[in-house]
This record gives sequence, C-alpha cells and structure tokens, in this order.
Amino acid sequence: MTETYKLELFPDWKATLLLFKNVQNSADLRRKAIDGSIDGTLLNPAMIVDPFQILVAVNKAIHLQMLGKMKTRTLNSEILFNLSPTNNISEAFKKFGLADNDSGVLIVLTEDGTKKSQEIISQIDGEQVPITALTEFTDIKKVKKMYKLTAQEEKISTVLEAVLCRMSAKDVV
Amino acid sequence: MEGDAESRSRLRTRAFLDGLSLMKQGAEARVYRGRFLGKAAVVKERFPKAYRHPALDGKLTHRRTAQEVRSIVRCRKAGISAPVVYFVDYVTNCIYLEDIEESTTVRDHIISMQQCGKEASNLCALADKIGQVLARMHDEDVIHGDLTTSNMLLRPPCDDHNLVLIDFGLSFISALPEDKGVDLYVLEKAFLSTHPNTEEIFRALLQSYSSNSKKSGPVIKKLDEVRLRGRKRSMVG
Repeated sequence: MTETYKLELFPDWKATLLLFKNVQNSADLRRKAIDGSIDGTLLNPAMIVDPFQILVAVNKAIHLQMLGKMKTRTLNSEILFNLSPTNNISEAFKKFGLADNDSGVLIVLTEDGTKKSQEIISQIDGEQVPITALTEFTDIKKVKKMYKLTAQEEKISTVLEAVLCRMSAKDVV
Repeated sequence: MEGDAESRSRLRTRAFLDGLSLMKQGAEARVYRGRFLGKAAVVKERFPKAYRHPALDGKLTHRRTAQEVRSIVRCRKAGISAPVVYFVDYVTNCIYLEDIEESTTVRDHIISMQQCGKEASNLCALADKIGQVLARMHDEDVIHGDLTTSNMLLRPPCDDHNLVLIDFGLSFISALPEDKGVDLYVLEKAFLSTHPNTEEIFRALLQSYSSNSKKSGPVIKKLDEVRLRGRKRSMVG
C-alpha cells in the first residue's frame, strides 16, 4: 500500500507516498512534523490531483537543497512550498499543509523510505489506503481556484498539466 | 562551496542526459528523449557557447531558458497547445518537457499529403487551423520567433489537426504589429521554401489568421511592408 518512486536525477533518493483516511490525530501529527519528530511532509490531499504532482515538487526540492538554494528551511517544507503556485510561504502552508481537523492525510517521505515508513505509520490514528484512492480526496474545484485555471486552458489541458506548469514556472512568471 | 555544489549538479545532470537518447542537436540546444519521474519526457539542454564571454553567455542562456518557459505557460493559459513544463534547471539550463508521443511535424504531414496527391482540401483545413492558433497566440502578444512547419506538431491522429506549438527558444512578448508581421514573414519564407507550390495553402492560412485575430489589420499591413524589405529594418538614413 506504501508506494515508492525513484527519482531519475537523484538515483540515491526515493520518494514514498502514504495516504490515510479517517485520521483522528491530525493536530498531533502536525505538531510532530513541526518539532521534527516526524521527518516527512504532511499534506492535505484535497489539493493533490495526482502522485506525479508530488514527484515534481520533490524533485525540485532535492535539486534546490543540493544547490543550497531552497526558499524554506527544510526539505520537507520545501516540498510543500513547491506545490504552491505562489511564492508566499505561509499561504502555501495554509493551503497545502495539514489542518488540525483534517481526516485525510498524505505523507511524503524522501530518501530511504522503507524503514521510516513503518515507524510513521504506527503514529497515525487512521486507516491507510492505496495511493490510487487519492482521487477520492481531491477537491477539483478548490484546485482549479488555487491554481487559477482558465476555461480556455481547460480546452487543451488536463487539470494536472495546468497545475504542473504553474509549479515549474512559478519562479519566472 | 556554491561552485562545488553547482559542478556536482552539472555532473549529475550529465549522467542522466547521457542515459537518454539524443533526438536533435541544434545551434542553441540539444534535445533528448527519455523518461522523467515515470513519464515520457523531452529534455532541452542549452549548452554553453565557448565563443561568447562566459558572463554574457550565462546571462543570455539563462534569459532564453526563462523566456521559453514563460511563453509556453502563457500560451497554454490562453488555450494554445504547447508541451507541459515539468521541471526547469537553471544551473544546466535544461527544460524538462512533456513528450508529445507519436506526433508528426506539420512539415512531414504536408510532405506526405502532397505525395499521395490528395492535398488541397485537407491541407487547406490544416492551414485554417494553423492560422487560427497563430492568431490567438499573437492576440496574447506572444511572438514565437522561429515559426516553421517543423516547430508545429500534430497529435495523433494527424487528421484531427490537433496542433501543438514547440520550440519557444527565440520567443518574446510584444504587442507591436511589426514583430507579429515579421513572425508571419519568417513562417511564409520557411513554408514556401520547404513546401513548393503551396502558395494557395499559405494564402488560406493568412486568411484564417486575419479572420481570427482581433488585431490582424495592422499586422498584415506590416507583413506586406516586410515582404518588400526583408526581415531586418533598413538602417539607411
């Protein structure tokens, strides 16, 4: 159920995605992520259209970390920040981060995911579901609003594609 | 330290690109095809030019990479198909793009249509579509800068005329009829020299451009002017 992806540009790294529903302890998890006892990115899955969206954010985060050019302090927060179409960090946390009473939780782990994931799974008071269930959590309306999709664009583009373009081009547009 | 990190990043990218297949080598960039994050992708690498001063070269290359990304996204937002941008690396000046799989260039399509002899009506419909897309692009003030039939792809099946514009490497933003006129002039030159006996088809393209663009009047007037003097403005006087 735990999905691991390889990153071609960084052969030593892996990205692991964990999806949970009916989570009871979001506030607690969020606190642990802030103080560092959970080493992962906690996301609100409503803003995520497809795992590929996360991989693009992870790839960019690792790239910038290795260059010492991250915009935020940690790799975990950089992954979240890269998902946002704007350069406002606190806004990114509000929209993409976990809120205290969210019941759906998406966790992104980087590096060697296998060992860590068991340890993290045990801390979550909820039910793990396969990543293919992500679409049940996605709030397409919110996504379209967040990324400001236009009607003309939707004629030639999927929502995912439009989202990807905004993520990868946000530092030049 | 920073230089160190950059050179390691360059080596990593090199190792990745060397594992892909080289599709095309141009004067400005190399284009590779392979997989990126599990998707079929194309990587466009702008390499450094040794004959330019390194500082100038770095700046120009960076600017062109950024401009290419900007134009692609601007076009897509306006409903003009261009490849999705997956990732931009400003250290190696690589753009990771969607691979338009199984696509045909408009160039190859026209050539094969002409060969099987059933040209006129079908090609006029395609010209109509091209005119429509370029009109929309110019109405957004995007100047492509290198319009040729090789820089237009058709998604399969070709007959659907699902057009994708590529290679925005020389693109820029301008509202001037002059720039739009030159953009069309470059296409006209390329079109008529790559595809002999297509004057009528190109006329259909311009016709469609005129009727689809809100600002075509001054552009076509400029095009007529540019035809007389060539792409560059006269510097006499």
